[in-house]
Amino acid sequence: MRAFAVMERDLRRFTRNPILMLASVLLPMIYLVIIGNSFQGQLKNLPIVVVDQDNGPYSRRVIELLQAMQEGPRMIKIVRLNDQKEALDLVKNGFCKAALIIPPDFSEDIVKDTNPEIGLFLDNTDVISSNGLSNIVSQSILFLKSEYLPIRQSPSKVQIRFVELFKKIDYDASLVPGAIVMAIFMGTMITGAFNLVMDKFLGIHESYLSTPLTKRDIVIGTIVSGVFITTLMSFIVLIGSMLLTGIRLEGGFVSFALLVFTIILSALGLLSMMFIIMGRANHPRVVGLIGGFLNVIFFFPSGAVYPIESFPGWLKAFAKVNPEVYAVHAIKALIFKGADIVAIKNDLIFLCLFTVIMLVIATWTFKRTF
Amino acid sequence: MGYAVEVQNLIKKFPPSTFAVNDVRFAVEEGEIFGLLGPNGAGKTTLIRMLTCLMKPTQGSAKIKGYDIKRDPDSVRRNIGVVSQSMTTDMDLTAWENLDIYGKYYEIPKRERLERIRYLIDIVGLKERAHDLVATYSGGMRRRLEVARGLIHRPYLLFLDEPTIGLDPQSRRVIWDLLQKIRSEAKLTIFITTHYMEEADILCDRIAIIDYGKIIALDSPANLKRNIGGYDIIEVSLSELKVDILAKLKSMEFIKNIVEKDLSLRIYVENAAKAMPILIDEFKKFNISILYLAIHEQSLEDVFIHYTGKSIREGEPQKVSFLIGAGVPRRI
Repeated sequence: MRAFAVMERDLRRFTRNPILMLASVLLPMIYLVIIGNSFQGQLKNLPIVVVDQDNGPYSRRVIELLQAMQEGPRMIKIVRLNDQKEALDLVKNGFCKAALIIPPDFSEDIVKDTNPEIGLFLDNTDVISSNGLSNIVSQSILFLKSEYLPIRQSPSKVQIRFVELFKKIDYDASLVPGAIVMAIFMGTMITGAFNLVMDKFLGIHESYLSTPLTKRDIVIGTIVSGVFITTLMSFIVLIGSMLLTGIRLEGGFVSFALLVFTIILSALGLLSMMFIIMGRANHPRVVGLIGGFLNVIFFFPSGAVYPIESFPGWLKAFAKVNPEVYAVHAIKALIFKGADIVAIKNDLIFLCLFTVIMLVIATWTFKRTF
Repeated sequence: MGYAVEVQNLIKKFPPSTFAVNDVRFAVEEGEIFGLLGPNGAGKTTLIRMLTCLMKPTQGSAKIKGYDIKRDPDSVRRNIGVVSQSMTTDMDLTAWENLDIYGKYYEIPKRERLERIRYLIDIVGLKERAHDLVATYSGGMRRRLEVARGLIHRPYLLFLDEPTIGLDPQSRRVIWDLLQKIRSEAKLTIFITTHYMEEADILCDRIAIIDYGKIIALDSPANLKRNIGGYDIIEVSLSELKVDILAKLKSMEFIKNIVEKDLSLRIYVENAAKAMPILIDEFKKFNISILYLAIHEQSLEDVFIHYTGKSIREGEPQKVSFLIGAGVPRRI
């Protein structure tokens, strides 16, 4: 049958491309490990800042109960501060996920039974972490309620006032920064080094390599054109996502300018990295494989879908050098919080360093001759 | 007069032990069309890639307009135009855009660039289609555009690597006319590799034959033909064959051999052009009419076969990536 001949041809060619076979077997397993560890893990070490203005027996008890959560299941990491404003700034700028403020007359209110209340100020831009923290604090208070106490005192009436520091965000809206970072990644895949690989594949590169263009001209020209397209794509995705989810940019002009800068910087860094990885590849098949692989290992553990606090140690360590983590964090803060430069300072420093290092290596490793 | 190209003991070795170019030495004079002939895998493309600074030589040196290819590649690149073996114009751009972008690569000022593009588009005959995408062009049109692009910066030397490969005879002739026209209009040296003998014969002032990485002959086409010895052949079919005429012919000094078959003769002579009138006179004297006549002069192909032999080149086994297989297309 002729169909067998067609089948034979396909099978023969498939076996002559071991990388395809290897990838189709290995990648699903790697994805399983990465994606499996990027979702639904137990949240750990969520930073919460506690301000005890009461300094009474009950406020100390609340803190002890929270410390038990810190020492036992290590779900939270407590930061103690005395100044309420400072504490709220830590949350607003994304350094802590919540601030627990125990007011000055908390213990007295319990004793007098006059509506004792503590305030939990949440960074609700991270929906999952803020829900997690609400539960942890509520549980601690529940312990307080079930403890043996003199009859006249009624800690069972302690109320938590939950304060969401930012505009409410649905889960689908919370994915928008991730979608933008993915658009940046996709942009870097189909521009920049990919164009060079296609040129090599088609034999076109020979013509411009014999002109006076320097290595720097080629690397920078290719990368900057990629940045242009990628930035444009990212903004189209941003506008599309805003229309789909109904969110709007919270900040003013500065925040918007920082958003543009962050997107450009992220695109520049990723394009330079792609240049190093794919600068010497000469087949689009390689780009497809590497690109797909990098997308999974960078995107899912970036905090775009699920908080980094839920990752196992090794994935957390990787998150420290994953540029998408910093891009997602900065873009999230800029879109949802209208953050200023203080909140995203660390992200920008990392992205700048990453970009410079990658760009230097890309230019250095690019081969101008055959 | 200085040399346009000076090659000294150039070697390119590919690991482990293949010498693609092996101790090559020659010079190309300014303003000449210099041809490099050789069978597949003889080292033509490797040599041209070294001269165009696309590949680093293992040993030896070469100068283009006095600039060393190893020490001053930038000056070399500024002075050469290259038309590669594979089609390298961008299909997603128009002819005009292709030329304009390359003009910018060479930092030609805008006004001069536009003038130059207009001129080149005109001489390569693409005026009507200048603003069409190259993807819509035929092979011949695209090749003409490549020649125009190679000339955008008024190079001192134009390299053409198999410029007419894959083209039909009409397009091939258009390219030949174009090259001759450009050469007469600008003081341009042309370095061309080909394995079309006719092309080399028509275009080149001098030809080097390269085989197994070595130059084995270098001279003008006429001298190369003369130097290999051998004879022109005059083939005739006659109305009748008489013993006397055969005897007469055999006694003639310039006739080196005669092979007869029925009423046809293959007469081997030193110079067919000189022998022809004498032979026709002889047949007339014997009252024999000539029914068919053909002349086979020594061709460059004879020269080529003389120097490179008849064996087909197997070539070195090409490297195929273990990981991605034979995905990268070979050049034609």
